[in-house]
Amino acid sequence: FVSHNALPTYFLFASFTDCFSPSSKRQTEVRGVAKVEDYTLPAYFDRRESPLPDIKFVQQLSPDQKSLKEKEKGSWAALSKEEKIALYRISFKESFAEMDKGTGEWKSVVAGIFFFIGFTGLVVLWQRNYVYGDVPHTFDPEYKQKEVQRMLDMRINPVEGFSAKWDYENNAWKK
Amino acid sequence: MAHPTQLGFKDAAMPVMEELLHFHDHALMIVLLISTLVLYIITAMVSTKLTNKYILDSQEIEIVWTILPAVILVLIALPSLRILYLMDEINDPHLTIKAMGHQWYWSYEYTDYENLGFDSYMVPTQDLAPGQFRLLETDHRMVVPMESPVRVLVSAEDVLHSWAVPSLGVKMDAVPGRLNQAAFIASRPGVFYGQCSEICGANHSFMPIVVEAVPLEHFENWSSLMLEDA
Repeated sequence: FVSHNALPTYFLFASFTDCFSPSSKRQTEVRGVAKVEDYTLPAYFDRRESPLPDIKFVQQLSPDQKSLKEKEKGSWAALSKEEKIALYRISFKESFAEMDKGTGEWKSVVAGIFFFIGFTGLVVLWQRNYVYGDVPHTFDPEYKQKEVQRMLDMRINPVEGFSAKWDYENNAWKK
Repeated sequence: MAHPTQLGFKDAAMPVMEELLHFHDHALMIVLLISTLVLYIITAMVSTKLTNKYILDSQEIEIVWTILPAVILVLIALPSLRILYLMDEINDPHLTIKAMGHQWYWSYEYTDYENLGFDSYMVPTQDLAPGQFRLLETDHRMVVPMESPVRVLVSAEDVLHSWAVPSLGVKMDAVPGRLNQAAFIASRPGVFYGQCSEICGANHSFMPIVVEAVPLEHFENWSSLMLEDA
């Protein structure tokens, strides 16, 4: 008869590699692991939202730092303020205040923007003097005045625009 | 025409154009509100000190920012459709004018009663009388009676043009072999300028349109004079 109480088969395997066939397990042990790249190892980072990096900042401790680490194993009340700060700097590169401060790079960027705007202004000035010809005679001040008078006489934009701002009784612009 | 440094629309001379002005203000206000809100959110996001990486979902705000844009879109669509249908109303024009685009001038034909037709060329800059507007004046204006519904049939003789007068709220493409109809009512007397609005060759910028709305007696005098000259 069929047994319905058989254990699920994965409980019988002791380790992950046991799930594969014995021949593939032997291949992994024979071949070894591929070359370890730097970016696959745990790295140090300063980030406000992840306050505990994977590794300490200083990996190779100098003899002073080693002795400090030994002292840290005792009572922390015995540590002076400078020693506590030194221990902090072993584990972390920047404090939160230093992290948040910013680099001041924006000042260089804004300076560069102003510089190029100024340079463009010089180019435009040169162009106006040496490349462009004269404007048409309709830009003369007397001509412009006649144009304005004509626009007022023709009641151009009388509702809210141009002629609406002229006082026709007193012949002056409205205050 | 626009006054110097004018940024907004010209004053309307046509009821539908007034509606378009109001709709533009309405839509622009909505757009400005949304842009200000987004700009504020961006600056708040960039300058915050808060850090929380583990918000996974939030049903309430998602409901709000799905329903609210739909409501805003409806608020924009309803006036827009209203104006669209308003522009297509059945109208009973008193006058029909044919505006034919050529390279590079317009010709107008008033053929309801008599056969009146004339060309309208731009006045060159060196021939301007003092005070005339450069690139906008023409030798013959299209005169219409004011406060009368006018139908303009726009077509072209050679290439694509477009008959546009912003104050009257009219822009209609002139397609060779096709008659496009535009209608307007000039609600106030005056001179309304426009320019060709479809690239048509070398002098595309130099074929303006001038519509002069005058009381009916003046219009009748003018058309009699033009017929005699022709």
